[in-house]
This record gives sequence, structure tokens and C-alpha cells, in this order.
Amino acid sequence: MGFEKFGKHGYVSQAKVAPIVDYLKKGELAGTKCLECDSLYFPPKADCPKCRSTKFDWVPLNENCKLITFTEVFFAPPEFQKETPYLLGLAELEEGPRVFAPIDSRITRDYLKPGALLALHPSTNENGAFYQLEKREQNYLRKQ
Amino acid sequence: MGRVGIIGVGHSRFGKRSDASLRELAFEAYREALDDAEIDTSDIDASLVCSATHYDKQRSPAGVVAEYLGLNPAPTFNVEAACASSAVGLRTAWALVNSRLHDIVAIVGVQKMTELSSEELQELMGRAGDVMWESPFGTTMPAYYAMYANAHMARYGTTQEQMALVPVKNRKYGTKNPKAMFQKPVEIEEVLKSRMVSYPLKLYDCCANADGAACILVASRNKVQRLSDRPVWIAGLGLASSPMSLAGRTGPMTSFQVTKNAAKEAYKMAHVLPRDVDIAEVHDSFSITEILNYEDLGFARPGTGAKLLEREETDLGGRIPVNIDGGLIAKGHPVGATGASQITALVRQLRGEAGDLQGDNANVGLAQNIGGIGMYAAVTILRG
Repeated sequence: MGFEKFGKHGYVSQAKVAPIVDYLKKGELAGTKCLECDSLYFPPKADCPKCRSTKFDWVPLNENCKLITFTEVFFAPPEFQKETPYLLGLAELEEGPRVFAPIDSRITRDYLKPGALLALHPSTNENGAFYQLEKREQNYLRKQ
Repeated sequence: MGRVGIIGVGHSRFGKRSDASLRELAFEAYREALDDAEIDTSDIDASLVCSATHYDKQRSPAGVVAEYLGLNPAPTFNVEAACASSAVGLRTAWALVNSRLHDIVAIVGVQKMTELSSEELQELMGRAGDVMWESPFGTTMPAYYAMYANAHMARYGTTQEQMALVPVKNRKYGTKNPKAMFQKPVEIEEVLKSRMVSYPLKLYDCCANADGAACILVASRNKVQRLSDRPVWIAGLGLASSPMSLAGRTGPMTSFQVTKNAAKEAYKMAHVLPRDVDIAEVHDSFSITEILNYEDLGFARPGTGAKLLEREETDLGGRIPVNIDGGLIAKGHPVGATGASQITALVRQLRGEAGDLQGDNANVGLAQNIGGIGMYAAVTILRG
């Protein structure tokens, strides 16, 4: 239990990687690392498809990433209709893994070119906790 | 001559079919296919019912469909690969016949989508992607394809005007296909001004949910030679998968690796090259998808897919006519029936029976069918 608290609207409630919600609530970005072969997974995986190990640890992740592509959703599933239009993005973290995430609504479409510099920042809402893509400057200012 | 051939095809009218149930739609296509092949139900050794079963009111629909078609006690089962269900059904049937387990197999692709309430459809809509890591952010089917469109626009300068040429072409041919859902052409301006769904895809860039069925009858070489004076052979089959999560995929998101992998297998098996293809049916779930498919199938170099539309190379009379039956955009997209609908169109072209829509000297036909948000792709090559 607990995984339904991940994201803006959860569909799945039970998962071995449910602790990601606790990390995000603390404002921390964490992935999993396979204890056998050191593979890094984000979004986290409880199992390693490369070496079939089930032993893993949670590790902190660098938030810096670059945009690969995006869209702006106008026609949304029911739980999201109040938020339209909203931006969704695909980005690549400096440490390698890719992430699918909402994009900060203060960002405009013209900024969203492939390669645009972004940071993946933990966030919370009434549902629980999630992460979103923000401009790096904003991320920097927030930390001051 | 191949090892497995197609001896009959049938196709219901696609669209909002408030007059017919799932099993009745299946019967329309099945009856036409049996008449086409000039065989009886007793000749069929097994049936594969292909549908994306999450849309069906009937659980395990192969049960009722086989009963309604009179196909008991022959084996029947469901084949599900989202929008590619009946292309995967064709591959499965090929294996059943080629292994000599069965001589004649019916592939029945069918879907009944418009009787679902808008609440039911919307509930399904949010779960098109990875439900753990992507759906919790408000994904939709168009949103995923729109992300490919934006990547292609940014990298190659593809424009929304160029994308609009896909519905303009396909809706034009839909007007000549009496079984298509949409019978009116559209102009570029109408496409560009239609309601935004997920930037940059607008309403007319998207295919529509529909009801419908299509049926393919496949047979062993001996049976084909005995039964058919215009055989169409299955020359090449390709099927591949990609990670379902967008984040699990690699590259700049300007192409579908899953299509490239499936095409490679199909071309190799059929001993043909992209330039040998005379006519094609590709998965135009969205305008951008048809453009990416041209590139991924090797009809155009990366980034140049839209040029084929501008030069009318994929129109009737062009170098390689594509979706001359109207494609998903004009026919509507009854998910489980779409793959079999593509094969039906190709078989009629290869036999020279396509009437007003007949291409010139079509000998090699290719169908490409993508499942879901690109986690499955099937490429099928037929020879007349």
C-alpha cells in the first residue's frame, strides 16, 4: 500500500517501490541501485532485469536533466480535466535514466526545445507526492 | 508461391454502428469472407477472435463470437495486442497452418467501442500508458503521439501544415470507400482550425473510435491451390516490441524503433526491399504516425516523410500509394478490426478488385500495424 500517493492521480496502490512517495515527500529525488551489478534505475525498480537480482538500495539522484520532447494536453482524462491545458515532458537525467513527468506550468512552449535545461524537482499535492520538470534557475532560487 | 495464403476476406461497414452488437458485426465480416472464399463453416479448423478486450462488454469474446458464427467445436481463442490485435492474429494463424496443426484458420478482428458510455471511455483513456509511472500525470493516447510529433518538428522542421496533408489525403479516399466511417473530404484549413487535442495534434489529425469487423481466411498451400484461382500469399511477417513506458525508450523520439525492427524481419522473410513495395496500408492513428511510418518502413529517408505527401507519391498513381482505402483516419479505428481491415484492402488491390481505388500493377503489398502507444508493431508483406 501507499503507492496510490504517487503522482497527481494514482491508479496502482501496491508496489515494492512505494517508498519513493516518502522520499518525494521529504523533498528528495531517489532511484534504486542494484546491489549485484550497480545498475541505476529511475523510475525505481525493485528487480534488476539485467542480472535478475532482487537486492537493491535507494540512492539520491542529481536533479539536472535535459528535455527530449513534450506535449500540451487539452483533452484530458476525467481526473485531470480541471488542469487543462497542461504540459507533459520526457527528459534525460544527467545520470542517464529518462523520466516522464509533468512540466511546471510557468514554462512556455517556446522554451521547450529538445536539449532545454531543466531540473526534476520533488513536489506535493492533495493526492500525495510527485516530481515535475522545472527551469533550473527556479530550482536554484528555491534552494537559497 | 508461399507456404500459407489468403483465400478470403470480408469487411463490415465501420463507424458508429448503433444497429449491431459485437457478434453481429463479426458475422457481417465473416459471411463476406466465406462467400469470397466460396467455402463453408465446416471447412474451418480454428478461429482466432482478435480484439482489445478491455473495450468489450463481453468478457472473453471469442466464446460468443465463435458460437454465433457456428464455429463450435473447433478451437477458438482471443488474440490481443491492442490496435495490432488482428495483425498478430494473422501471424498466429500463419504459425498454426505452417505447422500443419490446421489447414484453414479464420481471423476475426472485431471491436464495439461506441456503446461504451463516455465515463467508461474516459476511464480507459487515462490508462493507455504505463499505469505506475506515466498515467498518474494525465497521459492520453494522442499525448504520446504528440510527443513524437513535437520531436520530429523540432529536429526536421516538419510543420502542422504538412501533417494536415495526411487527413486530407486519407479522407479524400474515404469518400470512395462505402465502408468508411467518414465520407466527406477535409481541406487543410479545416484540419488546422480543428480543436486542439494535444499540441500539435488537432481533432482532424486523430482517428476516431468506431465499431466494425474484418475477417481473413488463411489456408495451407495445398488448400489454397485447390480453392483459389487468385491466391494472395503471405510472403513476410515481422513483429516486434518496444518498452511501453516512453521513458524506457531510447533515441530522439523521432521514429518508432518497433516498426523498424518489425519491417526488417518482414522484408528479410519476403526477400523484398522497400522500393519493391507497390502498395501499402500503414497505421495512421494520427497524422504524424503516417509520416513516421514512411520513414521507419524505408519509403523515405529520416526527416523527409512529409515530402512524399507534398509530391503526391503516396497518392493513387504515385510511386507507392498508401492508405488508399482511407486509412484509420477515414475508416474509423475499431481497434481489434483494424489490422484485418488493412489486409482486406491489400488483398483486393493485389487481386485487382479495388474498383475506383485500384492501383496499377500491384504485386507486392505491405501492411504496418502499431499496437497501443508503440509497444507492438506488426509488418505483413503479401504477394499477389
